[in-house]
Amino acid sequence: MLVGIPSQQSNNVVKPKECAAEMAEHIVAVAEKRCKVSFAIVFGYFAPRLRSYALKQMGNEALAMELVQDTMSNVWQKAHLFNSEKGSPSTWIFTIARNIRFDMLRKLQNRKEEICSEDLWPVLCEQTADVNETSLDEQITLEQVGFLFDSLPRKQKAVIEAIYIDGKSQQEVADELDIPLGTVKSRTRLALQRLKSML
Amino acid sequence: MIRCHPRLEQLVKFVEGNLSYSESILIAAHCDMCDHCRRVVDSETADQAETAFGTDVVQAGPDFDAMFARITQLPAAPAFESGEVLFKPPSKTSLELDGKSFRLPRTLQNLAGKTGNWTSLVGRLWQAPVDLGCHGVANFIYMAKGGSVPEHTHRGTEFTLVLDGKFSDGLNDYDTGDFIYLDSEHTHAPKTEFAEGCLVFSVLDQPLHFTSGLARLLNPFSHLFFR
Ligand SMILES: [Zn+2]
Repeated sequence: MLVGIPSQQSNNVVKPKECAAEMAEHIVAVAEKRCKVSFAIVFGYFAPRLRSYALKQMGNEALAMELVQDTMSNVWQKAHLFNSEKGSPSTWIFTIARNIRFDMLRKLQNRKEEICSEDLWPVLCEQTADVNETSLDEQITLEQVGFLFDSLPRKQKAVIEAIYIDGKSQQEVADELDIPLGTVKSRTRLALQRLKSML
Repeated sequence: MIRCHPRLEQLVKFVEGNLSYSESILIAAHCDMCDHCRRVVDSETADQAETAFGTDVVQAGPDFDAMFARITQLPAAPAFESGEVLFKPPSKTSLELDGKSFRLPRTLQNLAGKTGNWTSLVGRLWQAPVDLGCHGVANFIYMAKGGSVPEHTHRGTEFTLVLDGKFSDGLNDYDTGDFIYLDSEHTHAPKTEFAEGCLVFSVLDQPLHFTSGLARLLNPFSHLFFR
């Protein structure tokens, strides 16, 4: 038994809504620190629930477990794309699972892959995850928002300055400031969100 | 102003992932343009998530420990190397025709690169086919001012999303953002008198069937209209 996976009884009755804040914190911990204990808690709660969803949808144990594994792999690998302002952890994970199911069914029907579920419900692609920032860029120049940088929290400001003014990569910034890459990404995203909200 | 929205049950099925690709694309694109439907979809998604994961009985599953071990060996997703990706606009955000440029809703921007050349049809119409890789034919159709499609009905279904401009079809007047669903029960004759013309995105699963007068002669050739 893995450390950190709560026993069946204790998480059996907790509704997704009731643990949303807690799960959101754990997903952020996965994004920023690759924290396995946090992931174990998220996994312990969602994996069995995903399995019941997947069994209903796919009607087949092997396909259902493939769906669970693909979904939870995405949660582990792309936790930095979770944004609690856009929805709860259960909504985010449901969206990932629903998309994977859509593509699995399409593959089973031998459809051409002209389009995939991400085009319909963007949730995991880096570019569209930040689609709001894209439109921000089209409307104003970085010089124009320059003065707004001053109102950013110190840590976010440092990251934004290094990336957008000094032109460093996120990895370079992570190395320089001696913080995990996930932290750089989430600070960047938070800063851009904040800038956008000020416009 | 948008007056024609998808029905609630269509939005529910869209969120479930139980609509066809072509119908899903039109609904997703409508939601790009319609705040009302986007809000419905967002709250429906949250509801469906709560229901899907709110099951009281969670059976002890198969080997979740092994799955956990496999997953946590995976690296984090490759970093997007610099902030550039954040600011990279989609490949093609608008569609050009005859010196005009039409900005596309996000969902359809992904299709613009898969769009064939514009061809001129009768009646001041232009169409550009889109390969959806699935059943049915999809086209961007532009009707210049005074343009019209002869009266017709549908053997299957016709989904239309108004992307820019206005048109009328004898059943209704449509405006930018309107989502239109028609089947064999509907006979209509689209035309526009709008100065800027009208651009729509249309998905048909069967050729049109022309119903009036001389246009009936077109039926053997209807595949030339909406290929
Ligand atoms: Zn609507």
